[in-house]
Amino acid sequence: MNRTRNLLVPAYWTATVGLFAAAVALTLVWTPVEATMGPIQKIFYLHLPVAINTFLACLVVFIASVGFLWQRKAWWDDLAYAAAKVAVQFCTVVLATGMIWGKSAWGQWWTWSPRLTFSLALWLLYVVYLIVRLSVESRARRAVISAVYGVVAFLDVPLVYLSARLMPDIHPGSVSLAPAMKLTLGLWFIPVTLMCFGMIVARYFLHRRIRQTTAAPAPEINQPMRLGALGELA
Amino acid sequence: MTRTISHIFLLAGKDLRIQARTRHTFGLIAVLGVLIVVVLGLGLGAQAEVRGFGATAVLWVAYLFSGVLCFEKTMAVERNDDALAGLLLAPIDRSLIYVSKLVTNLALMAAVALVVTPVGVLFFSFDLSAAPGTFAGIIAISMVGFAAVGTLFAAVVSSSRLQGGLLAMMVFPITLPLVIVSTRLMTAVFRDGQAVEASTVGVLVAFDAIFLAVSWVVFEWVLEV
Repeated sequence: MNRTRNLLVPAYWTATVGLFAAAVALTLVWTPVEATMGPIQKIFYLHLPVAINTFLACLVVFIASVGFLWQRKAWWDDLAYAAAKVAVQFCTVVLATGMIWGKSAWGQWWTWSPRLTFSLALWLLYVVYLIVRLSVESRARRAVISAVYGVVAFLDVPLVYLSARLMPDIHPGSVSLAPAMKLTLGLWFIPVTLMCFGMIVARYFLHRRIRQTTAAPAPEINQPMRLGALGELA
Repeated sequence: MTRTISHIFLLAGKDLRIQARTRHTFGLIAVLGVLIVVVLGLGLGAQAEVRGFGATAVLWVAYLFSGVLCFEKTMAVERNDDALAGLLLAPIDRSLIYVSKLVTNLALMAAVALVVTPVGVLFFSFDLSAAPGTFAGIIAISMVGFAAVGTLFAAVVSSSRLQGGLLAMMVFPITLPLVIVSTRLMTAVFRDGQAVEASTVGVLVAFDAIFLAVSWVVFEWVLEV
């Protein structure tokens, strides 16, 4: 089992990095430059797949939170935590790439456009999830509180989206892409999704291991003292 | 059904009696709300940066901070002398404790709004006479959702003796849709003179319905920890 894992994990990450390199090369060399926005449009190939994968990570947080509240198994909590970390990291990339694009396209780093506002709200929701986890010391309480927050935060996502849509929009709605652009975008989805999935799984196993290491009862100390032990001590 | 309602009124009545006799929480949150409006008035209103319907955004800030303090205080009452343990032993559905706290918080928030809103209207020269009923209706629907989330997380924070300020951090991002929708509605009504769109109000109502239902279900689990 360990041997298979030792082979599979490096192969998985090598394939992900290789596909990333191929996608970058394709974007820089082969994909045509967009007529209106110029070379900065190429950031879109990273921006969209990362945004979609952010939602997937948020969905995993929600499913794991519901699973924890339903079954009270610790591994659900570890999965939710792993996915929330990835969601925040991916959402940070979405915000950063969105702002870089905005600066080039609209001349300013930030505008209160619906999609930028939505990304910011999503980022805030899941950063708070991580802070809540750090603020609770008791493991049992932390698991329940973060599961409740994980459920509420995810249910809030469509409402934030609906409300942000009321704001005036300058964000491109639907982008018409040339076939070469579509192919490049499709290729970008593969390494980004592999990375999202891989990061969640890697962090999940890390959290499991931390839990198993720290949860092991310290022998002798936590055991109630036996009457006979007094004699042994004497 | 009648019994359920009488239980809710019994519990909320107990809370409101405590608040009416001590007057500590109401005084605290009302003064905080007025202070926020005054500080923002000095910063924005005195320089005429924000005038008229812009007051609604300032009022929202006051409602949010006063609300968070209100939720903390009404839940803290139960933690003093372990009063919650007695409440949990009472032969009633535990989700009714949530509803009663929600009713208490809404009553206190309504009282604070009655104090803070005229101050905001006055300092920012906000002409509320165009649609006072619409203003009150939008704020009332928004407050139900805000209090629904706030009451739930106040129980979470209170039960875990978490660090101060965490309640605001948990509630503010969740309530962003309320702030966005209600300020957009106010702009449409008071600046553009448009009628209120049912679909926009629908987002507020959906928020209230979703979080009332979720809080009702999960409140008992929160009290366990």
